[in-house]
Amino acid sequence: MNFEWTDEQQAFRRRLVDFLAATLPGGWEEFSRHGPASPALTEFARGFCRKLAENGMLFPHWPKEIGGEGLGPWEQQILAEVMWEYGEPRGGQYMNVNWIGPTMLKYGTESQKAKYLPQIAAGEMLWCQGFSEPNSGSDLASLRTRAELEGDYYRVNGQKIWTSYAGLADTCFLLTRTSDDRKKGITILLVPMDTPGITVRQIPSLIGEGDIHEVFFDDVLVPVGQRFGEEGQAWEVIGYSLTNERLGIPRYHLARTALDRGVTMLKQAGDFSRETVKAEAARCAALCEAARTAIYAIVQKRVDGGTIGPESSSARFATVMAERAVCEFIVEYLPEALAGASAFLQMHHQRGIVAGIASGAAEIQLNIIASDVLQLPREPR
Amino acid sequence: MELSLNQDQTQILDFIDSLTRPYATVPMHDISFALTSDELDRELAEGGFLDVMAMEELGPVTAALVVERLARLPFAVEAGASALVRPLLDPALPRPLCLVEEGRLRQPVRFLKPGATVVVVGEGGVRSFTATADFIRSAGDEVLYGYPVAYLTGIPAETRSHDIMPDALRTQWRTALAAEAAGLLAAALQSVTTYVSERKQFGRPIATFQALRHRLAEAQVVTNGCYWLALRAAGTGDAGDAALAALHAQEAAKKVAYDFHQFLGAMGMTLEHPLHLWTYRLKLLTAELGGRGAQAIAAADAIWG
Repeated sequence: MNFEWTDEQQAFRRRLVDFLAATLPGGWEEFSRHGPASPALTEFARGFCRKLAENGMLFPHWPKEIGGEGLGPWEQQILAEVMWEYGEPRGGQYMNVNWIGPTMLKYGTESQKAKYLPQIAAGEMLWCQGFSEPNSGSDLASLRTRAELEGDYYRVNGQKIWTSYAGLADTCFLLTRTSDDRKKGITILLVPMDTPGITVRQIPSLIGEGDIHEVFFDDVLVPVGQRFGEEGQAWEVIGYSLTNERLGIPRYHLARTALDRGVTMLKQAGDFSRETVKAEAARCAALCEAARTAIYAIVQKRVDGGTIGPESSSARFATVMAERAVCEFIVEYLPEALAGASAFLQMHHQRGIVAGIASGAAEIQLNIIASDVLQLPREPR
Repeated sequence: MELSLNQDQTQILDFIDSLTRPYATVPMHDISFALTSDELDRELAEGGFLDVMAMEELGPVTAALVVERLARLPFAVEAGASALVRPLLDPALPRPLCLVEEGRLRQPVRFLKPGATVVVVGEGGVRSFTATADFIRSAGDEVLYGYPVAYLTGIPAETRSHDIMPDALRTQWRTALAAEAAGLLAAALQSVTTYVSERKQFGRPIATFQALRHRLAEAQVVTNGCYWLALRAAGTGDAGDAALAALHAQEAAKKVAYDFHQFLGAMGMTLEHPLHLWTYRLKLLTAELGGRGAQAIAAADAIWG
């Protein structure tokens, strides 16, 4: 067991940091106030991701045959950490790297891979994830957006909500119901967002410009060839996707970076000598590092080729605890950070407050831990 | 970065499991609060399990793993100080080792008895002496903690100085504390999950009620964090890592011990169930090294200067 980065891993991190230092424009942090889903940052991200791709840094952990460098899960984690440390200049394209790409590799048809992977690899594609519905949040398997097979097309009717990036996305990774057999009746369709019948409405929110949306599907016709996996296979596919998504955003690192920057501001203001402040900062750091080690243990499992199981929910909840603590620390001791004094800390807050809500509520993670890690008998339904 | 157990580590933990199997469960009548076994202690020492830190291919992470695993036993074993601190001082120091901070002599000292090595950490340095009856006061029969404890009445004029900075010793002490707490938390959690899965009320196991499930799940999350932070602290030897590990462990102990007893109901108040052995050891560990506040300040100083 060794908790130090290898020389190669340190060099990889340096390479990324150097690239960002050379590539990000002056005033980047102020610019990033727009938020990763904003029109400004989405546009910026297309150019930025293209440059990342040209320099082999968009998806270095992907296999060489599809344009990656064949590096491992540790490098994937380092990549994610560095990007979030710099305010995630990839915008919504981080999803491509984290789970759309890997999921496409595992479950996509050859023609889907041929169509989408090059666009993802070029840093040109933005996806949105059509999962939640007004009456299907944590109970995702109850979703009702209907896809009826009519010849060579599925006719889709229904509504999605809380859909990140929908306003500017090219394609929706859409969960639809093709039969009433709960989890076995859900099917994935890859739907171009300019298909007639799709209406997107932005929902103003605390978490940033252009971030969440309602998406309406009215008689939207989707070719059968756009089905992803078999009919009824969605639950298996999204289980795989969400495992990646849960580890995807290195929230422990974002929170720790925000904490460090908060401490720097407090020191500059002469307010870090008070023991109560120092102690609270240390508690936050402990939570961040506990989450980091829990995530790293899972990354190691990936390196070893193991299947990621319910321990990802445990690590995810650890990150929620860290995010919550750091958000509260900043508000309590640096209230000015959310009132214009720090673009980075404001960005962190806006990402941090959804840690326990997005990609599966924290309470669902606790249910999974209780049943599948602790092996407690399940609740009656 | 390599976080898998290597073959040696797996083997050592397997050996420990085999060796300690007879001690893994205990008949809970006629026992005292502090459950110890000279035979277990001897077997562990003779097997060299407390000396793994000095072995190049094993090192401090393996020592922390050993401490964590032994802490899961209902028997109290003096492993943390011996396995993780003693190698920094003199591997031949007689066991048990008792770590005390100068200026905190009013606190009960774990494993203190005649013949034990007392290591005193003060601002002026680190020294040790062999405890004799003259310097020990019994804590009597009213001790709630699951460790054998006694009081140190003073420090003899003649002590042995050790060539180590007090802060370096405290760092390793924090790591030992964290590793031991991680094992105690894991054992306590396991015993509670077993109980709540079997105990029925309203016609079903009480573990099926979400009020318990979520709090136990949170306990799992912090226990997992304690385990990894302790191992990382052992691996890096970094003062900040050690302080964070000890801080998280002491915070966790505060957070979960109440819940664990709560979920066992009145059974959690009896000596019939072993839960108190782990939780009351945890409680005493929360008082070590000045408690959570001191760990937090130490961590903040180490990380941010």
